[in-house]
Amino acid sequence: MSFYAFTGAIEQGLVYGLMTLGVFITFRVLDFPDLTVDGSLPLGAAVSAVCITKGINPWLSLLPAMGAGFLAGMITGILTTRLKILHLLASILTMTALYSINIRVMGGRPNVPLITKPTVIGPVRELVSSFGINPWLASSFLFLVLVIVVVAALIWLMRTEFGQALLATGDNPRMITSLGVNTSFTIVVGVGLSNSLVSLCGALVAQNQGTAEVSMGVGTIVAGLASIVVGETLFGGRRIVSKIISVVLGSVIYRLAIAMALSMNFFRPSDLNLITATIVVASLCLPRIKEYFRNRSYRGKNA
Amino acid sequence: MRNLSTFEAPALEAPLAPFAGVSYEKMLEATSLVKYFYRGTVNEVLALDHVDLKVRAGEFVCIIGSNGAGKSTLMGCVSGYSLPDMGTTVLDGKDITMWPEHRRSKLIGRVFQDPLAGTCASMTIEENMALALRRGKPRGFRRGVTKSERELFRASLAKLDLGLETRLTDQVGLLSGGQRQSITLLMATLIKPKLLLLDEHTASLDPKTAELIMKMTRQLVEEERITTLMITHNMQQAITYGHRLIMLHQGRVILDFDSDSKMKLTVRDLLQHFHTAAANGTDGISDRLVLG
Repeated sequence: MSFYAFTGAIEQGLVYGLMTLGVFITFRVLDFPDLTVDGSLPLGAAVSAVCITKGINPWLSLLPAMGAGFLAGMITGILTTRLKILHLLASILTMTALYSINIRVMGGRPNVPLITKPTVIGPVRELVSSFGINPWLASSFLFLVLVIVVVAALIWLMRTEFGQALLATGDNPRMITSLGVNTSFTIVVGVGLSNSLVSLCGALVAQNQGTAEVSMGVGTIVAGLASIVVGETLFGGRRIVSKIISVVLGSVIYRLAIAMALSMNFFRPSDLNLITATIVVASLCLPRIKEYFRNRSYRGKNA
Repeated sequence: MRNLSTFEAPALEAPLAPFAGVSYEKMLEATSLVKYFYRGTVNEVLALDHVDLKVRAGEFVCIIGSNGAGKSTLMGCVSGYSLPDMGTTVLDGKDITMWPEHRRSKLIGRVFQDPLAGTCASMTIEENMALALRRGKPRGFRRGVTKSERELFRASLAKLDLGLETRLTDQVGLLSGGQRQSITLLMATLIKPKLLLLDEHTASLDPKTAELIMKMTRQLVEEERITTLMITHNMQQAITYGHRLIMLHQGRVILDFDSDSKMKLTVRDLLQHFHTAAANGTDGISDRLVLG
């Protein structure tokens, strides 16, 4: 694998780590399989890109992007808790609707180019090269800092009263209801929070690659899930802190694995989805395979 | 024994000596509760048929009845798990009939039949107890577990004498069903509830653990004089514990023993009542049954 492929994978792993954290909140914390993310990732990209073309500071544009993602998540949450639509279906409905909304946000076009516009990465590039470091690495540094900030914020949140209620909502909704928590509320806020992180990721990806596209969200949920599973299998712990950190590491490893596979001549870029599915299956099987071999060795001793 | 459908407050001079602490102040007042399931279909079931139940502050009431008698539905209407089709539920002077479940929890502590249902397996003992300590309170961005709370949890766990006070940061999922049920019971009474609902909370435990939990229940309830409703299928338990025993059958309260008459009861008597009630079928309650 070339230097550029390697650092590119790290960069992708870090920025999509924010998305993975969002997916982690729904899938693992709330036990709420949420496919809204396939729509809220391009939503964040679209909102941020449109803000930038309107002359808004690229850093500032991240706030409306996150807000839009939060709203999208809230809609899925409300469809589930108030209208009692199955969570999976509710999120697919929101995702479908977001496709149209994203095009509307982008003024009726399927993409918004940002090549000539200011982005959050531009100044970092200059800063990095002033230190004599390859400016190619600027995005990786920036995303690393952002990931650390978001991870710290999430760890803090999960230790607050509200965060504990969120964790309990996913673990045992009946119990936490009997302790006075309105689980409809925690689910709506939790799914909103998750999608605001996914939208933040979308906005950063768009600024990094220089364009927001309506199709950039396809496969987000699978990549997020793959990263979570990889992280849990390799680094997983019981505590929420170790879970949060392992999920981000999982995202980086996942992108590295993809880059490695694609660097072999045998694979083509269009094989990406096949590779992703194989990685998820392998990670899901790993604990069982480990257990099988452990049991076999015990049996050997008893015989 | 008296017929509850013509409930009268007991005479004030009635001695309650062995159960001092029961006041005459009404705590729970369920009036004419009606609940249908599958209403308007061939499967229509009348689960509660104008049930009246008045419970005084500090009273410990055992509820028995065969499967489908309406015990759980009655408790559901009190806890907010299900809402009645008719009637009112007043708790501590507040009409809670239509309150959502999470709002009532400010007033009500609960322990479920499933020993795993009352705690979060993936969270630690102290986190679970901290959740319970905030029952009915708004949850903001303050710390989920504080240092001073930890001391409180350690002290109350020590009372259980199960050695759990040294395992505050262990995940609850690592504990046995009995240990988890003990913690649930402790959690339900951590802040004194206006009403404690015990829904067959020893039914899924082995006899020894069940006895331990019942002892703990009695200790906690009597210490704090908590008004309690306990559903049980264990007749001996129903006779031994509490100040009052009521029997439900086909959605009605058919028997109501106060503490004096309850003390004279035997398991055989109760079984006899069960059979009589069952034999009476859907025709309601005969005078013989009501008058005993």
